[in-house]
Amino acid sequence: MTETAEATETAAEPQLVPVNAIFADDFVEILVAITTADTIAEVAGKVAYHVEGKRVRARDAEKVVYHNDRALTPDLTVAEAGIAPFDHIRVDYADA
Amino acid sequence: MALLKREEWQGIVRDVDWTLKYVDDEAVYPEWHSGTGKVPRDAWQKWEESYKVSYPDYVATQREKENSAYAVQSALKRSKAFETLDEGWKSATKMHFGGVALVEGMATLAELKMARFGLSPAWRNMSIFGALDEMRHTQITLLFGHEFVSKDPQYDWSHKAFHTNDWVTVSLRSLFDAMMTGANAVDMAIQLPLTFETGFTNLQFVALSADALEAGDINFANMISSIQTDEARHSQQGGPTLEILVEHDPVRAQWTVDKFFWLSARAFAALTGPSMDYYTPVEHRKQSYREFMEEWIIDQFMRTLSDYGLKKPWYWDEFMEGLDIWHHSLNMGLWFWRPTLWWKPVAGVDEASRQWLNEKYPNWETVYGDKWRVIAENINSGNMEATLPETLPWLCSMCHLPTCNANYGRDGKWRVRNYSLKHNGMTYHFCTKGCRQIWWEDRDNLNHTTVVERFLLGEIQPMDVPGVLGYMGLTPDVMGDDAHNYHWASSFSQSEPAGTAGGR
Repeated sequence: MTETAEATETAAEPQLVPVNAIFADDFVEILVAITTADTIAEVAGKVAYHVEGKRVRARDAEKVVYHNDRALTPDLTVAEAGIAPFDHIRVDYADA
Repeated sequence: MALLKREEWQGIVRDVDWTLKYVDDEAVYPEWHSGTGKVPRDAWQKWEESYKVSYPDYVATQREKENSAYAVQSALKRSKAFETLDEGWKSATKMHFGGVALVEGMATLAELKMARFGLSPAWRNMSIFGALDEMRHTQITLLFGHEFVSKDPQYDWSHKAFHTNDWVTVSLRSLFDAMMTGANAVDMAIQLPLTFETGFTNLQFVALSADALEAGDINFANMISSIQTDEARHSQQGGPTLEILVEHDPVRAQWTVDKFFWLSARAFAALTGPSMDYYTPVEHRKQSYREFMEEWIIDQFMRTLSDYGLKKPWYWDEFMEGLDIWHHSLNMGLWFWRPTLWWKPVAGVDEASRQWLNEKYPNWETVYGDKWRVIAENINSGNMEATLPETLPWLCSMCHLPTCNANYGRDGKWRVRNYSLKHNGMTYHFCTKGCRQIWWEDRDNLNHTTVVERFLLGEIQPMDVPGVLGYMGLTPDVMGDDAHNYHWASSFSQSEPAGTAGGR
């Protein structure tokens, strides 16, 4: 394997991206581990997992992920959305 | 020969100083320990306090206090008083023992630093009594806490807590290292005796003593009342120091007072707030935490600012709004992350408690009611897993407490807002604008990373909840669980939501 090929293969590996996250009107920001390959829809699920139905009442509504006050498209990946380690993200119900 | 009267010799003895011959003043009172800064060296000659205690007087008085405190403890040892105490109240005392005992030990060293590097002989003399006070406080707190180790291993954390990396300990260590360990004598006199002891320990020692008596814990009330009598004296070192500093460097004086009032308020919101509004059984509460803060802390702090010609701190509106939020959120956080504690946290939200909370805090139901209801529903349906944490709360890079302070925004919603900043390629998050501002001003002097930062930097292994609990020194026999065996949760299945009347 050439050096270039190895570097490309390594770069393709999903990287862990620990973020500071808040879900809806929960009372506390939490640490959530996402990866560069996760879609924004998956990120919403990973954040909600720790809160929805545990402290915040679950609702049958679409979830939106906000990063730098911008709503992200659900099918973008974390890498494409430019979410970096230690960034803050907010997940909320679309109709909140 | 007739003995001189005290007033004939005491001034001479107390004010003994040396005219340095072989070294210069900077060698004996170096700036980094003494901290005179912009204050001319001879300005400290005006330093004066009103207690003017002599050593024989001090020893006689302290002996009486000790005899009295230990006599009560000895009498109560033969009673069944401990067994009758509410488990929640016991937790308030465990939190106090672990959170305070070795801080008193740190304060001994702090007083000794002022006794050596204080800039006037009267100040140094008083600090020696302060050091003796703090030594007594360390010993009495450890002794009273350790009395119960055979009955409950959580009391072992009276001494152990400060030897661990429990997140509560890290938070307190960060505060008190800044206040005492790393401070020069001038800053310390304003941070510890004036802002913390005059300002805040009243709350812990007077208010909590009243709650202790109501809760039937005569032993604990006896101990902390005994300590408080010393605080009233040695805390007087702050006033004269501030008076001189304000005259020569008012900007430094204002900043030092503002900063440590804020940081002390954060710590008290975590420890005293839950103790008063949740851990003390509702029928025994004298006043709410907010009411105590307003009567005992805020009025006095405002008088202090006015007396010394200082301004109201820049963060005042945020601080006042926090009186309705900080300690409620921290109580929920302490309870949800209960395995990380050395005491049994109290939910404190049975029906009578919720009614009390809504009377005292009109927005309580809006912000917290349904969250506790969701938790209770999980308990009532046997879904205990949903009530236990699988990740960490984010901890503020300044106060090291969870970033959990909702506020009512211009968007018409109660939400936890994110306060962050980037510095040297790192993103830092804070619980409030106040903490963020203090961190930024002090960014070159900070040396404690939060437990979350340690986790993300790979210092905690394995990187999971058991790994974190092990890092914090918690073992299964000690880690916290609900103080009342979750009985409070059933009250939610019998009642309707209290509604949001009165809340915005």
